[in-house]
Amino acid sequence: MSLPRLQPQDMCFPNLAGAGDWGIKGYQKRGGYEGLKALLQTAPKDHIEKLKQSSLRGRGGAGFPTGMKWSFMPQPAPDKPLTKPSYLVCNADEGEPGTCKDRDILRFDPHTLVEGMIVGCYCLNAKVGYIYVRGEYYDESSRLNQAIQEAYKAGFLGKNILGTGVDVDVHVHLGAGAYICGEETALLESLEGKKGQPRLKPPFPAGFGLYGCPTTINNVETIAQVPPILKNPLEWFTRWGRPGNSGTKIFSISGSVKNPINVEAPMSIPLRELIEEYAGGVTGGWSNLQAIIPGGSSTPMLNAEQSARVLMDFDALKAEGTGLGTAAIVVMNKQIDLLRVMTRISHFYHHESCGQCTPCREGVGWVHRLMERLSAGEGTPAELDQLYALTKKIEGRTICAFADGAMWPVQGTLKHFRNLLESRLNKGEAA
Amino acid sequence: MSNPTNPTQQPAAKANTAAPAPASPTPAQAQPPLPPAPEGMLNVFVDGILLHVKKGSTVMQACTLAAKEIPHFCYHDRLSIAGNCRMCLVEIEGMPKPIASCHWPAAEGMKIRTDSKLTAEARKGTMELLLINHPLDCPICDQGGECALQDQAVAYGSDRSHFHEFKRAVDDKDIGHKIKTVMTRCIHCTRCVRFATELAGVEEFGATGRGENMQIGTYVEQALQSELAGNMIDLCPVGALTSAPYAFTARPWELKRTSSVDLLDAVGTPVTVDTRAGQVMRVLPEECDEINEEWLTDAARFSYDALSTNRLTTPLIGGKPATWPQAFEAIKKALKSSTPATTAGLMGNLQSAEDAYAFKAFLTQTLGTQNLDSRPAGTLPNSAFLTTPLKSFDTAEAVLLIGCNPRLEAPLLNIRLRRAALKRRMPVYAIGTQMNLAYPHTHLGETPEALTQHATTFKAHAALQILISQSVLQRPDASAILAAAAKLGTVNILADTTGRTTTHSIGALPQGKGNGTSGILAAWQKGQLKTLFIHGEDTASAMDVKSGKGTLIYLGTHNTPLAKAADVVLPTAAWAEKSGLYMNGEGRLLGADQATLPPLNAKEDWKIYRALSAELGNPLPFNTLSQLRTLIAQANPAFAPANLGQITAAQRPEFRIPNSEFRLSTKPFTAPVEKYYLRNEYLKQSQTMHAIQAESGSANLGPQPGAPMPLPTKPAKPKGRGAAHA
Ligand code: SF4
Ligand code: FES
Repeated sequence: MSLPRLQPQDMCFPNLAGAGDWGIKGYQKRGGYEGLKALLQTAPKDHIEKLKQSSLRGRGGAGFPTGMKWSFMPQPAPDKPLTKPSYLVCNADEGEPGTCKDRDILRFDPHTLVEGMIVGCYCLNAKVGYIYVRGEYYDESSRLNQAIQEAYKAGFLGKNILGTGVDVDVHVHLGAGAYICGEETALLESLEGKKGQPRLKPPFPAGFGLYGCPTTINNVETIAQVPPILKNPLEWFTRWGRPGNSGTKIFSISGSVKNPINVEAPMSIPLRELIEEYAGGVTGGWSNLQAIIPGGSSTPMLNAEQSARVLMDFDALKAEGTGLGTAAIVVMNKQIDLLRVMTRISHFYHHESCGQCTPCREGVGWVHRLMERLSAGEGTPAELDQLYALTKKIEGRTICAFADGAMWPVQGTLKHFRNLLESRLNKGEAA
Repeated sequence: MSNPTNPTQQPAAKANTAAPAPASPTPAQAQPPLPPAPEGMLNVFVDGILLHVKKGSTVMQACTLAAKEIPHFCYHDRLSIAGNCRMCLVEIEGMPKPIASCHWPAAEGMKIRTDSKLTAEARKGTMELLLINHPLDCPICDQGGECALQDQAVAYGSDRSHFHEFKRAVDDKDIGHKIKTVMTRCIHCTRCVRFATELAGVEEFGATGRGENMQIGTYVEQALQSELAGNMIDLCPVGALTSAPYAFTARPWELKRTSSVDLLDAVGTPVTVDTRAGQVMRVLPEECDEINEEWLTDAARFSYDALSTNRLTTPLIGGKPATWPQAFEAIKKALKSSTPATTAGLMGNLQSAEDAYAFKAFLTQTLGTQNLDSRPAGTLPNSAFLTTPLKSFDTAEAVLLIGCNPRLEAPLLNIRLRRAALKRRMPVYAIGTQMNLAYPHTHLGETPEALTQHATTFKAHAALQILISQSVLQRPDASAILAAAAKLGTVNILADTTGRTTTHSIGALPQGKGNGTSGILAAWQKGQLKTLFIHGEDTASAMDVKSGKGTLIYLGTHNTPLAKAADVVLPTAAWAEKSGLYMNGEGRLLGADQATLPPLNAKEDWKIYRALSAELGNPLPFNTLSQLRTLIAQANPAFAPANLGQITAAQRPEFRIPNSEFRLSTKPFTAPVEKYYLRNEYLKQSQTMHAIQAESGSANLGPQPGAPMPLPTKPAKPKGRGAAHA
């Protein structure tokens, strides 16, 4: 039994494929900005409560419940006005290898994000919102800027939006090409004009964020999903997915599939169904599958057997020892040199470490070099154990989760494909 | 990147997170509840021992309290917490990962384990990673023997590495004559960067590149401009930043350490003088919260080569070497023809209490003259002291600078002002030349009239601290300035050196109707003086004494222009070569020990006066240093040994407001210091100081054209309608 395909009225991003008009006219035709005024006239408290019930979880990787996150932000009380401004920051620094969902939102449906920013800023008492777009998305950021200009002209942004008395300004900031700036506190540092390096936590951004003020940072997809959730009955969103994992989600499917695609599908969809239904199946057939990275390069791989049974949601993937991450699915069939892929991924992390913490700065390069050497068959089997021990000296020893994300794929390789490495090493020795 | 799965990003604890320790114990830990800790304290266990620590303490502080050493590199008490070296990881029971103790807040009931397997492994792991790219060139590294990396590698590291790849190498940076860099040794703790940004206020040091390619440097390679840069050498835990003048000259275990005092500004920083075989090899700060915290100015740190440059090593008569008896004979002859009225003495700005007492006793008792002084010409008969202790500037309400540039006159006081101005938004007003203080201040004008023009601004502060440069006291309208200032707040006078305040406290000042410096010099130039003793520099210059006709007797350390102008020269001991008592600018008694001996035939100053007085048939009543100190303490109880380290306000010469018939003039103030590194004769003897001055543009030091930094204001309204600044 397979899940039904989503109809446009079920989707948060009906124009994700870019078929329709990305501009404000097209967006409004699809129902955008409808009911915005009513949203801005409902108490933020109620919105946050509804978000909690919707069990919308962060789409940027960590999967933290959005409603809960928003409830950490200070709300003014009649006797206690806020002393500091609050900020909503949208993380559009999409750099995780394999992930390309935010890009399609920015270029084909940017108004979903703009509307999300308006509602989000309102809910969090922020008068200013920032959208931090990765530097490489120059064209996308231009389109986003155009969308913002359109929204200003139409009176959806600026002072006293639609006569509700709500003021929201949104600014777009382009990053300078560092993966680490997708980590929320590094993003804030970068936004403040400093070197993009993650901050120590605590304090957390909800208390001490951008310019030392309360700040919430959310992924593009998360923010853009907020208005449809709030506008529709709760059931509209929660009917999809297993409890605690509800809703729809964009899956980016790439690699050895017939039809690589970004697609919005219900949560908790079986991985196999997702690939076969939407991406045309694995090249060479399902039996030709070698491994799948389920959620962007930092989530450990699934082998073929796991892939056949797993559901695509936070909890199911966690139970398999990996994670939903950004739901960027990279499929590798048996023709792929998996060790080369993994070496390339560790090269990526080597290149992107910010250099702040010792284990990551010194260790990620070492891991990469070991991977290069070992996957080329140079070295001894004993070094495989050393490599594993090394990843354990790096994982969990740093300020942010970058090092964890860099080590998990290597650990995954050692776990599932140690035999591959060993046979290469033996060959290398024989030669 | 979109966030990788990061369980620690959110404040709320999930089952497997390392979020702040849950206050409620897990069932496994369920034990009889702890009795509550005293008010404001927390119950914390370190290796099973129950401790009470203050709320808000970090885990590292708790461990320190329990006398458990936590290895660390990036953490430093006086800098912000960076948490990047990951050496301080410790295990906390109930948390899956070891945490960085330097920043993790202690929580009620927390169980810290510094002795567990996980903690030991975390340290070993970090150490191995720190060392893989470190060159391990200890045998040729100046830090060897006092290197945190070396010590901690022995204590917490492993005896072998698993690293078989190539090591990274980093280009050294040429950052001037102060600091030698070997950047391959850098462990990226960013202490130096944080010091430059947070304390020195010069954002000239930072990290470029990322990951393995991260490098510490000055962005564009250039000489460091900070007057405090040398402190980065002390902060650097490894041999990446080492002292350039000290490079390859000694090993720490060869050095003899002696406590002394830096006399070069009014702060009177306690220092350690390191000598080897009688030669001063380097000068380092000591730690004293009230005075210097733990910093030292570059002028004090790098000028020690002056001690072995251009020294007077034997008495001179008419520029020709002579023996001591010959020199005394010549003085005796000169004194025969002079009377007390035609005899005078001037004392310089780097002398000790002993020097000043002996000088005064010799002139007044042996020679019977009243003409003596130790202040620059024209200075008002006022005490040149801070009436507020240095540390109290940390909590001052507002500060007004009159003709004063604390950044150049007392950089360590400027650190305190800067911190207050930035952290507490303490208003700092300045009247005088435009200057770059490295923090926001309001410049109110260049002439003394600004004092009256802005009186309402000043009166808005109940407790205004006013800092006046000693050089202002030389102005003709000094009385009027002081009187006007005294009406606005507490007047503090910032002397040029600790020597100056010392001699002043001893009372090396005109006696009775005797002449002060300007009177003495005028009399000398008119030929009215027969004999003039000048002991030390910077009270009179060679220009001042050029036209005199009498006998000029110079006691000093260096062959300066003044020494060259003298008829008889007696070589004395420089600051590191004698034991001395000093009183710094805030009136705190400090003691210096003798680190080395005076060169060749030079003698300690007081001994010269004692011998000369005996030669003249009227010996001074002291034969030993302790006898001399007893006499000093009798005459001036502030100098009693019991007062060492104390401020003896009652004993300090009182601050008098001179009568104020004079008008405030319209003459602008001048810059109190032109060339920081060459601001007195002693510094001018140092080759290093010349080199450093030459490479220090006026970019950050000294007067800077243009508007001063404005006070922080609200950010301007965003203009573009949502348009990006992208
Ligand atoms: S130069 Fe020294 S103080 Fe600066 S980051 Fe490197 S190791 Fe730390
Ligand atoms: S001392 Fe704690 S991380 Fe460096």
